[in-house]
Amino acid sequence: MKEMIYRTVCPGCNMGCGLYIREDDEGNVAVDFMKSSPANLGKLCRFGMKLPHHYTKATSMVDGVEASMEDAIQAASGKLKGADNVAMLSVGATTSEEHLAFTRIADALGTVVSTGMGAYGEIPSECHPAVGMGIPLEDIEQAGRIALFVDPYTQYPLLVRRLKAAKENGASIVAVGWQDLNIADENKYINPDQYESELGLDSDSIIITDVHPHSDPEQVKNLLNLALMTGARIMFMKPFVDSTGAQLLSKGTGQKGLQEIMDGINEGSIKTLVTLNSDPLELMSNSTDAAGTLEKLDNLIVITSRYSPVNNMANVVIGTEPLYAKAGSFMNVEGQMVKNSGEGTEGIDAMSTLSQNLGGSAFDFPALHNEVLESIVQEYTKPKYKELECKLMETAAAGDGKGNLVYVYNPFMWFDQPDDNDFVMVNMNMVRKLGLRKGGMIALTSDAGTLNIRYTVRDVPDGLILAMKKLPVATGSTTEVAAEAV
Amino acid sequence: MVSVGDMLVGYATDDDVRKRGASGGLVTAVLAAALEKGLVENVVVLKHINEYEAVPIVTDDVEEVLASTGSMHSVPVNLAKYAVGRNVAMPAKPCDTQAVIEQAKRQMIDLDNTYIVGLNCGGSMHPVTTKKMLAEMYDIDPDDVVGEEIEKGKLIFKTKDGKEKAISIDELEEAGFGRRISCRFCTLKIPVNADLACGNWGVIGDLAGSATFCQVMNEKGAKLLDNAIEAGRIEVQPASDKALGIREKVNGAMENLGKTWEEKVFTGIPDEERMQYYMDQMADCINCGACKEVCPVCACDEDSKCTMFHSLVDDYKMSMYHLVRLLHLSDSCIACGQCSDVCPSDIPITLLQSRFAIPAQRRREYTPGMNVNDIPPYFEVMLK
Repeated sequence: MKEMIYRTVCPGCNMGCGLYIREDDEGNVAVDFMKSSPANLGKLCRFGMKLPHHYTKATSMVDGVEASMEDAIQAASGKLKGADNVAMLSVGATTSEEHLAFTRIADALGTVVSTGMGAYGEIPSECHPAVGMGIPLEDIEQAGRIALFVDPYTQYPLLVRRLKAAKENGASIVAVGWQDLNIADENKYINPDQYESELGLDSDSIIITDVHPHSDPEQVKNLLNLALMTGARIMFMKPFVDSTGAQLLSKGTGQKGLQEIMDGINEGSIKTLVTLNSDPLELMSNSTDAAGTLEKLDNLIVITSRYSPVNNMANVVIGTEPLYAKAGSFMNVEGQMVKNSGEGTEGIDAMSTLSQNLGGSAFDFPALHNEVLESIVQEYTKPKYKELECKLMETAAAGDGKGNLVYVYNPFMWFDQPDDNDFVMVNMNMVRKLGLRKGGMIALTSDAGTLNIRYTVRDVPDGLILAMKKLPVATGSTTEVAAEAV
Repeated sequence: MVSVGDMLVGYATDDDVRKRGASGGLVTAVLAAALEKGLVENVVVLKHINEYEAVPIVTDDVEEVLASTGSMHSVPVNLAKYAVGRNVAMPAKPCDTQAVIEQAKRQMIDLDNTYIVGLNCGGSMHPVTTKKMLAEMYDIDPDDVVGEEIEKGKLIFKTKDGKEKAISIDELEEAGFGRRISCRFCTLKIPVNADLACGNWGVIGDLAGSATFCQVMNEKGAKLLDNAIEAGRIEVQPASDKALGIREKVNGAMENLGKTWEEKVFTGIPDEERMQYYMDQMADCINCGACKEVCPVCACDEDSKCTMFHSLVDDYKMSMYHLVRLLHLSDSCIACGQCSDVCPSDIPITLLQSRFAIPAQRRREYTPGMNVNDIPPYFEVMLK
């Protein structure tokens, strides 16, 4: 038995957790712990432990029929030549080099690559560096006070140990969110206009929040304002393996948010969508609606290293080598560049051929890698906090919070991992009010139908129902539902 | 011919292997010989990445064995699971060996097909912590390190410029560095449960630093050495009485250090506070399952006792998963520290398990992983 061992990074979020992938000669994949990785010391969360499921191989396809990669590239070229109204989406779920290669195709098509992070378009560009680049993870352990606007247990689990270390070093932690967190000394359910007076932050504090395709721009502004007013540093966690790198490589391109792209398709201003390791069906809160939107496209071209639901809808799928086997690099949330040990350039070579077919330039991995190094690494090799350079912003009321069923956003659950989180969380007041029975179910009804689901009792605010996975009755991050006992 | 019970000092005959391998390259040469003479189909070794990282590989390539790294204190991995279902020879710390034997009790490893070259172990360290320690305590650039050694209670690092710097382990551990916590209270330092027990303790005089002390523990151990001698890969000679004495003295000092640490680590918890203590410690669990996955003693598959009654929807203060594991492993936990190493929430799982396991095992005068014929006491009770 011959085994290939790859040194790579977990694609579950942008923490940059190092790990080994062991691949046997039959293609079976196993995860092993890389204890020398500074971001995680080899530790992995629920998603990381289930990575083999994530790495289901992508097959090249043309019009739903399995095809060679060459035929898929030719088919994609044919559909893209002369195409108008093209949008290109790469959220940062692949290497920086592939993201850069994708931008070359965009150049050839006269368009830009969007990372889907709509919030960036709504905040002043001088704020982008602070949103795009985090804080060295070790600095979290030295903070005097930490304000959490994420749930580290379900969203970014490798934060938990940093927060524990901070507490051991004397930090106090205040959490603002949907449910009480064990790690927090105080849990608050407050509005943005109370943040400054209620959270007790100063220049020794760190605010930890996140930015993702569904982030409310007003909340991003609120938290930037909070950092400006208190002098606290702010760290935006991110959901994709190269979110930070992709954002830095895409700056100034006038890119669109994910919702904006979906709206563009619905309105007919986008007729062709090209994606790179980015599946709108996984990324959108309501997969059914998203599928209905994608059906309106003239052309859907998917370039991907893994199987995901969008592959089944695509006109063309260009299936490349698995992420762990690619030559390339990723930049984690603190600005640390990590290189894959893989040497695969199938994806880049395919995009080079596609670019040439479209009248664009040819490229190869070494050239792209050098460009990545020149573009982003020299400045950021050693993680360093980017001081806020923006001014206080006017904010409108946050757009979220219109429904009582809240999808507790969780980057890796989007990838449809096998899990046992098919339940919702309610508090004891709701149990009493609805007369829920122990071991029974709760019925949730929205415009999208009715769902009977298990529930568990947790410390959540009155009236709210929290879900850790996408539910078929949800129509967005928050959904108005009627609840009753089953 | 080598005999069971022999105490020998030996080294690799190949100059390059002798220079590169730890303590004269005997272990590397024995493993290579086992492979090339067909004693085994594969060898488990650590593939060197850098001074702080090596990855376990299973190989049938002699050159890969010869190029493998020697013992690395900053690679705290347990190798037992890499031997499961295979015909292998492997280097093994005492806790690796314990895990192999526990796997054998559970029919996952056939000891007749597994040759264990035991390595003395004073303890291992976390690689990232080691780098930090080098910068803060040794004032050495981690990238300048070319070798490391534990000797006379000191941790020594050798640098590219040929210099060495030593600091006492006590001082390092007082400062929060040094060995992993489970290694500190471990008292099994010489792998007498392996087929061969090898190390540099007791290597004196001209051979110091360039040979390995080797105790032949059983027939398989004798076979390993005879095989390597016949292949021309090693030379051995009897160890002197003085060498034996020094080895015993070092071992005794390390055992005593372990006992002292056990008293420091396991301070008493009043009975009425014990449940709350466990609940508080487990409260940050994110249910990743890494502690089960990495456990070198666990032989259950996905459908196991600890997982089958566990569900995220349950709202226990401490999950069924952990409760079952605490009980299930109480007679077989070897306190190797792997579960604590990989816990993303930094829960000190090894210490929690050991609080159950150490008294349970002592009460029944049972040490897991020492002899394949020793039946785990709770297993025995079940059979009755």
